[in-house]
Amino acid sequence: MDISSRLAIGELKEHKRIYAVIIIVIALTMTSFMLENAYLNYMMQVVDDTTKLVTSDAAIVDPSCNLRDLYGTEVELKNAGEIAKRIEENLPGYKTTIRVTAQGTYGLGVKGEAVDGCTIQGIDPERDNEISSIADKIVAGRFFSKNDSILRGHTPLYIEIKGPGNLPDFVYGTSERPLEGDKPYPIIIGATAAKMHPFLGVGKTIGLTLSVSGKETSYATVNVKIIGMYESGTPTLDALMWFMHADSLREIKGYGEITGKDWHIPGVGTFRGYNPIKVDHDRGDVVIVKAPEPLHKLNPIGYSEEVKEKVSSVFPFLKVYSWHDFLVYIAGSMQDVVTIMLWGSIAVTLFLCGAAIKYVMDSIIMRKTREIGSLKAFGARDRVIFKIFLYQGLVIGFVAGVLGVLFSLLVMYLVNWYGFNVEFIAGTQLKVSFIINWLTLLISIVLPVVLSVLAAAVPAKKAAMLSPVEALRKGELSL
Amino acid sequence: MSKAGKPIIKLKDVSKRYNEYGVVVDALYNVSLEVFPGELVSIIGPSGCGKSTLLHCMGLLDRPTSGKVYVDGRDTSKISGKEIALFRGEKLGFVFQNYNLIPRLTVLENVILPGLIMNRDPVELEKKARVLLEEVGIHHRADHKGVHLSGGEQQRVAIARALINDPVVVLADEPTGALDSDSSLEIMELLVELNKNRGATTVFVSHDVEIAGFGRRTIALKDGRIVGDTREKGVNFKKVLKKLSTNSREE
Repeated sequence: MDISSRLAIGELKEHKRIYAVIIIVIALTMTSFMLENAYLNYMMQVVDDTTKLVTSDAAIVDPSCNLRDLYGTEVELKNAGEIAKRIEENLPGYKTTIRVTAQGTYGLGVKGEAVDGCTIQGIDPERDNEISSIADKIVAGRFFSKNDSILRGHTPLYIEIKGPGNLPDFVYGTSERPLEGDKPYPIIIGATAAKMHPFLGVGKTIGLTLSVSGKETSYATVNVKIIGMYESGTPTLDALMWFMHADSLREIKGYGEITGKDWHIPGVGTFRGYNPIKVDHDRGDVVIVKAPEPLHKLNPIGYSEEVKEKVSSVFPFLKVYSWHDFLVYIAGSMQDVVTIMLWGSIAVTLFLCGAAIKYVMDSIIMRKTREIGSLKAFGARDRVIFKIFLYQGLVIGFVAGVLGVLFSLLVMYLVNWYGFNVEFIAGTQLKVSFIINWLTLLISIVLPVVLSVLAAAVPAKKAAMLSPVEALRKGELSL
Repeated sequence: MSKAGKPIIKLKDVSKRYNEYGVVVDALYNVSLEVFPGELVSIIGPSGCGKSTLLHCMGLLDRPTSGKVYVDGRDTSKISGKEIALFRGEKLGFVFQNYNLIPRLTVLENVILPGLIMNRDPVELEKKARVLLEEVGIHHRADHKGVHLSGGEQQRVAIARALINDPVVVLADEPTGALDSDSSLEIMELLVELNKNRGATTVFVSHDVEIAGFGRRTIALKDGRIVGDTREKGVNFKKVLKKLSTNSREE
């Protein structure tokens, strides 16, 4: 141990009370930073995970689709099977899945209930990229199983009415009254939707009116049976997004080989009757792409952009949206604002702590001027004096950082142990939990160290530059 | 002690001018003197005559405005700021009026402190410090905090501390200035004894003619100039100072 560190330890012991106060203030600031950051990380993780239920790492859609359509595009992606295949061939490690999507309306005709909307993600439970993250979120009922009756054997019955004059054609259909032997399609709904609408619940069958054709007014009303409910952690999305089997939606939207014939009813339109369908698994509305895990998770947005660029490079004429594009669309920059505010408040507090360290050290140096003069008389070089005060800053910052981390870990442990929930929308509960990443941990220790060292460096430099004779003379007034 | 060998400290035409708040003060004016090995030199003079400034220049704590200071044969004006600290630590020992012990350190730690600054072996330093503490008669309080000692005891510790690095000269600035008369005499007797037994070359400053009488050589200072330099014993310094001062004015 060199002389500077020996003397620095002595100084720290001598002024332990005032330094303890500073250390505690910094430690509490870092505790607050850690907790807020870890909670924000958790929230971001939840939102990110939820967002990825829709897009995985990237989603390829028809060029006419915009971001909003990712909820449930009405436009089929031509050659979806070929696109999915070529992505996997051109980008090693990338996995693709074809999804069929739709927008739905439910509650029509239910007494005392308002009509509500939802978006349907048609997934392949055996192949979908995000399947485990969906299956793991089931809170009531069950996930899809192989025994589920996912096909009716026909498209929904619907009537096409030619619009008079220049008015568009209007196509509507219904399957609300099933044909004999028909069973409802299985569906998994968001738990929040069930909280808002008591007529929704596991085991219940409802009529769901779905959009079935691209950018046109074409609907089919089908019966669905709620087999399970999921909670994503983001209730606003749970209320909106439901899951059906991709083949169910293929059948409803007519993605396959349709046989049979249409009947034209003069003055009414065309009645497309009972047409058995052989669904085409290569048809769909969205190809979702799962990229390999990044080497690190310090820059998820950057990685997201990288994935998007790679996918776009294979199909430059298609629309590719990254997971982050969708996140920004649904959550805006709220997270960014919260993050900026968090950092802002931390910066202000740390600035005040830094000022306090500088002020305390300044006053100590004033009182210690004669001691500094004596050390210089005994041969201490400027840097020996400089290091005495710098080491103090280093120790203060490090101890404060470590204490801050320990405090916050303790609080997180207690909150997790107690199981803390807060009220969210529609009577839902939002779980309070934390995710600590290495970056947060590193910042929580490095930031106070850097701050304390910088704050100590100014008075340390001042002390080091004192001329010995001046220090000895001035010191005569102190101590 | 008479002149012997080369001077340990040599000042040649040293002047020191301060300019504080626009007021120019000549603290030292063309001072030349030599201090030889083994000497016990007292510097005497009224308050504000430049005694401490002279000691600070000799101790390389302050640089003269003009003139040269040689320590152990080396021209210190050619030593860089970084080196001068090292040179000070190796060649010079300091005793201050207010002892300047580090309050939180024990007596022993205070004594070895200059050695640690010079990166010397702590074990050897401790052995040596204990010997020195015995010599200055304070070894029984080695493990006490410096602040718990009386003024006389603290100054003994400060003297031991000044000797820890085997300096070529010990410079003491008003070593009895903060002590009562009994303690002052004890400290001066100790300095005389160390000078006699160890051959420690010592220069001390005092405004007290009785204390200055302990020196084997006395340099009188007035208005920044040397007005007397004598090795005569039994001199009435009050009269000498007065006489030298009168002569200086006549010249």
